[in-house]
Amino acid sequence: MSNKPPAAAPAQGTAPAAVVSEHTALHARNVSFGWEDTPLHWLPGDPFATHTINVLHLLLPAGERWFVHVYKQVLPYIKDEQLRADVVGFIGQEAMHAAAHDDVLPHLKRLGLDPTPYTAQVDWLFEKLLGDRTLPPGRARVWWLKERVAMIAAIEHYTAFLGNWVLNAEELDRRGADPVMLDLLRWHGAEEVEHRSVAFDLFMHVDGSYRRRARTWATAFAALVFLWQRGARFFMENDPTLVNGRASVGQFVRAGRRGVLPSTPAMLKSIPTYLARTYHPSQEGSTAQAAAYLATSPGANGGVVPADGGAAR
Amino acid sequence: MTRTTTTLNGTLTGTLTGALTTTTLKVTAVAGAAWLARRALRRRIRTSPLWPLPALETPISGYSPRRLLRALIVSRTEPADGVVQLTLEAGDLPAWTPGAHIDVVLPSGLTRQYSLCGDPARAGVYTIAVRLVDDGRGGSREVHEHLVEGAEVRIRPPRNRFELRPAPSYAFVAGGIGITPILPMLRAATTAGADWTLLYGGRSRASMPFLPELSAYGDRVTLVPEDEAGLPDLAAALSGVRPGTLVYCCGPEPLMAAVAEAAPDPAAVRLERFIATAPASAARPFTVTLERTGTTLTVPADTTTLAAVRAALPDTPYSCEQGFCGTCRHRVLAGEVDHRDTLLTDDERADSMLLCVSRAKEDHLVLDL
Repeated sequence: MSNKPPAAAPAQGTAPAAVVSEHTALHARNVSFGWEDTPLHWLPGDPFATHTINVLHLLLPAGERWFVHVYKQVLPYIKDEQLRADVVGFIGQEAMHAAAHDDVLPHLKRLGLDPTPYTAQVDWLFEKLLGDRTLPPGRARVWWLKERVAMIAAIEHYTAFLGNWVLNAEELDRRGADPVMLDLLRWHGAEEVEHRSVAFDLFMHVDGSYRRRARTWATAFAALVFLWQRGARFFMENDPTLVNGRASVGQFVRAGRRGVLPSTPAMLKSIPTYLARTYHPSQEGSTAQAAAYLATSPGANGGVVPADGGAAR
Repeated sequence: MTRTTTTLNGTLTGTLTGALTTTTLKVTAVAGAAWLARRALRRRIRTSPLWPLPALETPISGYSPRRLLRALIVSRTEPADGVVQLTLEAGDLPAWTPGAHIDVVLPSGLTRQYSLCGDPARAGVYTIAVRLVDDGRGGSREVHEHLVEGAEVRIRPPRNRFELRPAPSYAFVAGGIGITPILPMLRAATTAGADWTLLYGGRSRASMPFLPELSAYGDRVTLVPEDEAGLPDLAAALSGVRPGTLVYCCGPEPLMAAVAEAAPDPAAVRLERFIATAPASAARPFTVTLERTGTTLTVPADTTTLAAVRAALPDTPYSCEQGFCGTCRHRVLAGEVDHRDTLLTDDERADSMLLCVSRAKEDHLVLDL
């Protein structure tokens, strides 16, 4: 982001080390999911776990559109051709994620759970609070761009964590989760694992300061906890099929033990992981596993009735 | 000695009791305040789930213009020879204004646009009318054969490219099934107290839908069935309109061309054209002017618009290069676009294009780049 030459490599042992074999070329996949048959509680008999995962549909459409919006502006600052190609692939994948999750929202509304009160506020968060703001060109604008790039890197740490979790969450299959919803989550999760290094690499390329990494992690983490607990609560309290629906930390911990949500200890462990000076996303998760899922995902391979009605050529 | 101890003890107990009372009071006050705060927060969260964040006035998430709605066909009638009228119902159908149309995604996957011809005041109900076209591209045949009462149909939200602008008077011209977007306009114009006339042409009375509805308007409506009265005399009908009159026309292409020619003020003419999605023709070379950059490029037949633009502006965003992710969507300032993507709605196509797959229809485009 500056015209200065890149700083000299930091001393051994403190630099983030990428696992080279985990790199793969990225491209967006044209997916389609048909929501006609997905029930409200797509994880049978477990409204809390269903709704906690459903919070993704509330956050991702606006959030991932914001990623794309920010990354389009970063393109001129990328001086590395390999990274530029990664970012270009990342942008298309994120645009498709946003659109795919957006399609679930009208379905929830049809099922009697209108998400608009919540999503309109998420829209405000990403469009206004985290939008471009009226800043003078130059340092202020670049600072705000870097800050957002760092926030995206922190959020992507969690999307990769969740992606890795859902690819391995066999408990969801055992409990008869709706196949279309599971495919959406796993296609998305697999692409998150596949591109898990891009946001971090981009942040290291344009800034890389540890202080900014730690600061934006704290912001992103606090925001995610806030958004998630309010989201789970919103769904539980407004679910037309539940009487006195409540969301609580206890339910979350227990669902994590059952394996239908990420476990609380694993989530806590991911905090020091991201804050370690030698952290690099490629050190966790498996690109091969993600690629294997993507090769067989019905949604990513046109295996269902296309949601756009088959207008695709 | 004993007495002193007792006094001491008494003082101690008194102090302790006093301290305890103060502590109890404080705890009660804090607990009470916490309870009140919690109740107040709960009340706010009930109506504003992310309180204290405000909401975006026009929500975006969940309201994509490309989203699919599912509606039930609650009635199917034949208001004229070769015309079926479908009434669609669903709980979540968005509001619309006269002139709007919807995409209907047919069971085969074909997408066709049909004007809404019902009453916008009736929430949750859409009405469309479709004429069977023998030599058409199969859409109308599919509607006639497969969209039966009780079936579910997938549609996209209404869009309006044929908006009824406020005016003191209107001259409406409809040809055949082109009456569909005009019909709700007549109602709106009447309600608004505007002065209006309708010239409605068709092959024969039997083939012209909505004649009973139109009879209520009396002599404002002029019917011109071709088998009785020949083609409508547009020059006579439009030459006498008062200045300020807007002319709205929907019908076959020759009729719309004739109206545009006969109208005294061409700027007052509004036409409803449906963009035909013609099969992709062979790519031809063309030129692109980048308005803000101030350069003009040539796009050879074997190169995409995106590649040519990127040669001049390497930081132009793009991603999938196949016309589905939408990253390279850009505003078009001038020139007709040959849209080859599978993403954009025709509203979006009116002023933008995907650089990665779409090209110029003629030989020049001007982009806002």
